[in-house]
Amino acid sequence: MDYKLRKAEPKDVSDILRLVKELAKYEEMESQVTLTEKDLLEDGFGETPFYHCIIAETQEENSSEDPKVVGFAMYYFTYDPWVGKQLYLEEFYVMDKCRGLGIGSGILRHLSDLAMKTRCTGMMFVVAENNKPSVQFYKRRGAEDLSQEEGWRLFRFDKDSLVKMATPAEE
Amino acid sequence: METFSIRAANVEDCKDIARMIKELAEYEKLADLVRVTQRDLEQDGFSKNPFFHGIIAEVPEQHRTKEGHTKIGYALYFYSYSSWMGRAIYMEDLYVMPEFRGKGIGKALMSKVAQLGLAAGCHQLNFTVLEWNKSSLDFYLSQGCFDITDKMGYHCMRCEGEALEHLAQP
Repeated sequence: MDYKLRKAEPKDVSDILRLVKELAKYEEMESQVTLTEKDLLEDGFGETPFYHCIIAETQEENSSEDPKVVGFAMYYFTYDPWVGKQLYLEEFYVMDKCRGLGIGSGILRHLSDLAMKTRCTGMMFVVAENNKPSVQFYKRRGAEDLSQEEGWRLFRFDKDSLVKMATPAEE
Repeated sequence: METFSIRAANVEDCKDIARMIKELAEYEKLADLVRVTQRDLEQDGFSKNPFFHGIIAEVPEQHRTKEGHTKIGYALYFYSYSSWMGRAIYMEDLYVMPEFRGKGIGKALMSKVAQLGLAAGCHQLNFTVLEWNKSSLDFYLSQGCFDITDKMGYHCMRCEGEALEHLAQP
């Protein structure tokens, strides 16, 4: 079974959401996904996209069926004021049944190449420390764990806290 | 009562932003990692497709530092995306010069980032802090955020230099 990588198009949003939910299920966080197809459409294919997406498709040889979307990567560009532009890999997933075919490596290769072509000095992402297969996958490929090596911790303000912070304090 | 103002950064601020980036890196004990120059900031932040946005905190002339600086704090941010929740805002840097701390300037800068994020439809504000930076950790936690590295075990990873080049090989 051969695969093809291509840029996502508006028609792909339902497959993207399907795969996002599948990955969330694998991480036991399915209920956390509140994103909708409408959000994906507006946010990825409007004038100023918040994200970009690569799709991996397979097609059975000599088949008249439509190609099937079996993997994706969602990324955007960020900035490190010390070393410049970075490519941030937000989400990266290949369906279970299509693993071991080199699709994951192919996606990473494509993104690394894109990072270099767009003058990014690095590719960044987040991995859960208990996701041992993923941690190994990335470390094998030379990724550094900045949390471990330099002591960076990721923090978040959720919507409610954001609203509180945005409201000026009473004088 | 000391006054200060918060405003969007413009290209003329890059010299001061570069200075304060270096000061923040020194505070974080990682100053030799800084490669970005004033010119990089001008190109990357103030061209047609900026990779970041800035907010500056300024004091009036009569409160300038002994070196003559009136731009005494900044925040750098950009928009990001959560595959679970959608639009998000990432605060990359937040810094106030030591002699101007404790006056609510950091809070005001962060509040501005929060306002901008909400106006753009963002659901969360993310940032990183060094684990030993107790005063910053205390400040952020007091504002209502939570530690995702602690809660979910998320580690920040990077592929750069030779590792990135190697990954890009066919």
